[in-house]
Amino acid sequence: MTPVQLAIVTLLAPLASAAVIALFLRRAGGLASAVSVLAATLIAGAALMLALGNFRFEAAHEWFQLGGLSLSLGIKFDDLAALMLSVVGVVGWCIHVFSLGYMRDDPAHARYFGGLSIFMFSMVGIVLADNLFMLFIFWELVGFSSYLLIGHWHEKQSASDAAKKAFIVNRVGDFGFLLGIVMCYWSNGTVNLTALSSHHVFSMLIPLLLFCGAVGKSAQLPLQIWLPDAMEGPTPVSALIHAATMVAAGIYMLCRINVLMVPDALTVIMWTGTATALYAALCAITQSDIKKVLAYSTLSQLGFMVAAFGLGPTQFIYDNFSDPKIGMLLMQTGVGAAMFHLSTHAFFKALLFLGSGSVIHGCHHEQDIFKMGGLRTKMPLTFWTFTIGVAAIIGFPYLAGFFSKDAILYLAYANNRTVFAVLAFTAILTSLYMVRLWKLTFLGAPRSDHAAHAHEGGFTLTAPLVILAVLSVLGGYTSLYPKVFTGVFSLIPEAEGSAHTVIVLTSLAVMLIGAVGAFALYRPAATDSLAQKSPGLFGALTALKESFDAVYDYYVAKVQQRFAMLLNFLEQIFLSGLIVRGLAGVAGLFGLGARALHVGNLNVYVYWFLGGLTLFWACAAGLL
Amino acid sequence: MTTDLLQQAAASNQWAAIFPELSLGCLALLLLGLEMVLPKDNQRQIPLVALVGQAGILVGLLINFYTATLDTETFNSLLRHTHQGQVMRVFFLVASLLVTMLGMISLPKQKVPRVEFYHIVLVISAAMMLLAQSNHFVMLFVALETVTVGFYILVSYFRTSPFSLEAGLKYLVMGALSSGLLLFGIALLYGVAGNPALPGHTAEPMGFSGLHSFLATGANAHHFLAASGVLLVLAGIAFKIGAFPFQIWIPDVYQGAPTPVTAFLAVGSKAAGFAVLFNLLQVFSPCSWLLVPVITVMAAATILFGNFAALTQHNVKRLLGLSGVSHAGFLLLGVVASVTVPMAVGAVHFYLFAYLLASFAVFGVMAHVAGANDADQELDHYAGLAKTNPFLAAVLVIGLGSLAGIPPLAGFMGKLFIFVAAFKAGHYGLLGVAIVGVVVSIYYYFGWIKAAFFETPTASGDECQASRPQISVGLVARVVLTLLAMATVVLGFYQGPLGVWVALR
Repeated sequence: MTPVQLAIVTLLAPLASAAVIALFLRRAGGLASAVSVLAATLIAGAALMLALGNFRFEAAHEWFQLGGLSLSLGIKFDDLAALMLSVVGVVGWCIHVFSLGYMRDDPAHARYFGGLSIFMFSMVGIVLADNLFMLFIFWELVGFSSYLLIGHWHEKQSASDAAKKAFIVNRVGDFGFLLGIVMCYWSNGTVNLTALSSHHVFSMLIPLLLFCGAVGKSAQLPLQIWLPDAMEGPTPVSALIHAATMVAAGIYMLCRINVLMVPDALTVIMWTGTATALYAALCAITQSDIKKVLAYSTLSQLGFMVAAFGLGPTQFIYDNFSDPKIGMLLMQTGVGAAMFHLSTHAFFKALLFLGSGSVIHGCHHEQDIFKMGGLRTKMPLTFWTFTIGVAAIIGFPYLAGFFSKDAILYLAYANNRTVFAVLAFTAILTSLYMVRLWKLTFLGAPRSDHAAHAHEGGFTLTAPLVILAVLSVLGGYTSLYPKVFTGVFSLIPEAEGSAHTVIVLTSLAVMLIGAVGAFALYRPAATDSLAQKSPGLFGALTALKESFDAVYDYYVAKVQQRFAMLLNFLEQIFLSGLIVRGLAGVAGLFGLGARALHVGNLNVYVYWFLGGLTLFWACAAGLL
Repeated sequence: MTTDLLQQAAASNQWAAIFPELSLGCLALLLLGLEMVLPKDNQRQIPLVALVGQAGILVGLLINFYTATLDTETFNSLLRHTHQGQVMRVFFLVASLLVTMLGMISLPKQKVPRVEFYHIVLVISAAMMLLAQSNHFVMLFVALETVTVGFYILVSYFRTSPFSLEAGLKYLVMGALSSGLLLFGIALLYGVAGNPALPGHTAEPMGFSGLHSFLATGANAHHFLAASGVLLVLAGIAFKIGAFPFQIWIPDVYQGAPTPVTAFLAVGSKAAGFAVLFNLLQVFSPCSWLLVPVITVMAAATILFGNFAALTQHNVKRLLGLSGVSHAGFLLLGVVASVTVPMAVGAVHFYLFAYLLASFAVFGVMAHVAGANDADQELDHYAGLAKTNPFLAAVLVIGLGSLAGIPPLAGFMGKLFIFVAAFKAGHYGLLGVAIVGVVVSIYYYFGWIKAAFFETPTASGDECQASRPQISVGLVARVVLTLLAMATVVLGFYQGPLGVWVALR
């Protein structure tokens, strides 16, 4: 099998799995899960074979041609895609296995695994796509599968609302994305990624419109509102789609189109990411739902990645613009840092979500951290792996997050000190809310019956945790990776000399301040310690979180709804009333008239003939 | 008349050239003979003999499609065998085959003699086939009268039903009137073409070639008598195809006639009219200054009248009759276009085939759904058909969809070809009228589909349903209906050999 065929199999296997489940296995949950996990195993295996075997290729096949517009379906498999595919494959496989245990008692087993498969298909499609149009198709498909899976428990009003919210908010971003693709095609004549990298028009609008797609999918300000709500889905879904892979697709897409970037666009991207990182970290502090904390943490980390991408060249590009080659190289440092953090984040955030899933499963679907506590002894394996995840995300030295976050901080330090300050402060908050979460969940005494009777899950629940924990520890050592991802990892900026010292010290300091602060502040109690000690601050943070939803609610209810009602009114009067019903009424009258002509009387019919003959005679005589 | 002349005439009698018609006639006689010979119990098999016999003739005709007599005149120029004539022969054979099939469904529901029905259908088909190939007004009139007289009998075939008898009477009177007009037109043409005072007068004014050369000479085409004759002949044909203003008889007769006869009238008789019209259009081509505007106006009026009148019908037979009027209008559009655009002839033939497939699919369903009173077939009777008999409902949808011209069915392609031809010929106004007609037609076709799929039987409908036996579809009917529906779908996607074959001129 050639690499291209293998890649196609990787892409189509989950689709086949989804089709088989949808058509034949809707009632056979066990078989459906087996098929889906098999497909995931195939993806993971094929992804690693392709990535580690150092197969790099591009292949395309023309899909259709309409006038001057020709679109092709193709695969672009470079180091970037290889890294992303490996991450998606490995994390996806872990989460499929975890789902086996987690969803065991769910009645709609088959629908869930079918959804997972269709998601894997769409995600692999995004990774492999060689042009923006194809990327967009799969982009929409992940949105669709995300909708399916968030609303998996659709009997729950909040779940179906959240699914709709995620879908609609993403539409807003995708509209910009689509406009960007159209504009890109219009001004460059192609949407093929490789063709674009060799030749394209410099424009600020195109990258920013394309970035809209990433704002929606990666939940950046101001479209971040859907991600916390998306936690209504089953926890493995949150781990796979809303933490490790799909939301990271926005970052991946940015890295794919980095050649189109111009400095001004990058500045916008940088500030968007920085603002999201800070905002989400602030919101995370007041959350009491274990998954919501993690959701805001994901938002914040995505903000880090977007900021890293935007930071890449901001400063240097002006200095070196005379030499486009150097400018191009420096521009990609952002790609290195962003993709590095994306990979490590995928490992430890998936670990944290699966850990929270294990906790939720153990506590009989209790999600409130103030009703947990004392799980350290009840669920030791979950505790230790979760601890590793927390340590990794807050940047504990020599764990995965430490390296990748340092790379981002260094980039900020070198390019923009304001951003550096904000990100460092965000890192303090990260460490604060993560340690808070960790302490409230696992330490102290159990604060509810559920927590008191918590128990460790089965093998399928714990094995993925261990694998992801190992990856969270080792994922940061780029030297451990096979030498096949150098195309990405060589771009990771590394601090040297004094800058190195500053970065390491800063990163240690922020981690320690946050962790110690959280440890000191939060008591394992049934209420939030911050709310007790400083209700004003707590209230402000809560209001901050709710402000966006309030604004959107106001807009939808007061502005959009009224406009829609106005349009509906006009439609009822003019289109539906005057044009449609009016025309139909006139036609009906004609019909009644014509019907009345058929009197059934033979004499009258003969007169018809006579009339016709008279007309004909007049024609023949030249009278008419 | 000398012996030489007689011998010469006899030599031109190439009986092989009309072998299909002769076979049909023999088959018709065979059926009557079988009825006398066979015991009563076995007489149920006679329609099957008719079916198999016609299928055999059809196969033979298809094999010998490019016969040696193609593009020659036989029987002392009474007949002229053309490609177009061959296409129409196939068309009429298929139509009579399907009418036989419909008869096998409908006739057992009535207390009437059966075998004569098939006999007459076969005779009519043979006459239609001759009609399409006639090259002489005497031949044309005799064949036409054979068809018409046969229909007089068939329309009133259910003689216990007052509707059928009324329809028969109306058809008789109107048919006689139209025959009279046609004959009057022929007489006028005969007189004027044989008038020695006029230039180019001919000794053979009844023959098409003689008449054509007369009309093409000098200002003969503008002669009042010639123009009157042409238009009177046109009026006679307009009665056959149901074109405005000679369409008024259609709903009453279609409603009263037995369902298979309605189908035969709607498809066979109409197509026969068009076959004759095409032949005569070539003969009358010097008169196109008159014919084109007259037919254009007729086409527009026919489309509008047929569609609007069908809007408010509740009886499906009347509805199909009026929709058939509108189809005649669309076909006339193709006829007008064919004067300048040769491809229009192929388009009309394709349309006729698509119309045949779709109409017989619908009539096949109607024959199954109809109760004991054949004239009483209301839209309400179709309520809930999709539930009680999904097969018939599916066939109905495909048939009606094709009649309405919904892509990707054959009817759509037929309309498309005709509209393209009309566009090429520059009949934009008529095209606009036709498009309005299509839009209107979708309303009543879909009303029928809606009845079958989305309506549940009402209280009164329940009674009807209860009084009716469960609809059972026999094997032959099932196969034929499936074939019709499939052909309708396939022809929409892929015109292939039929498209080429029909369009080949």
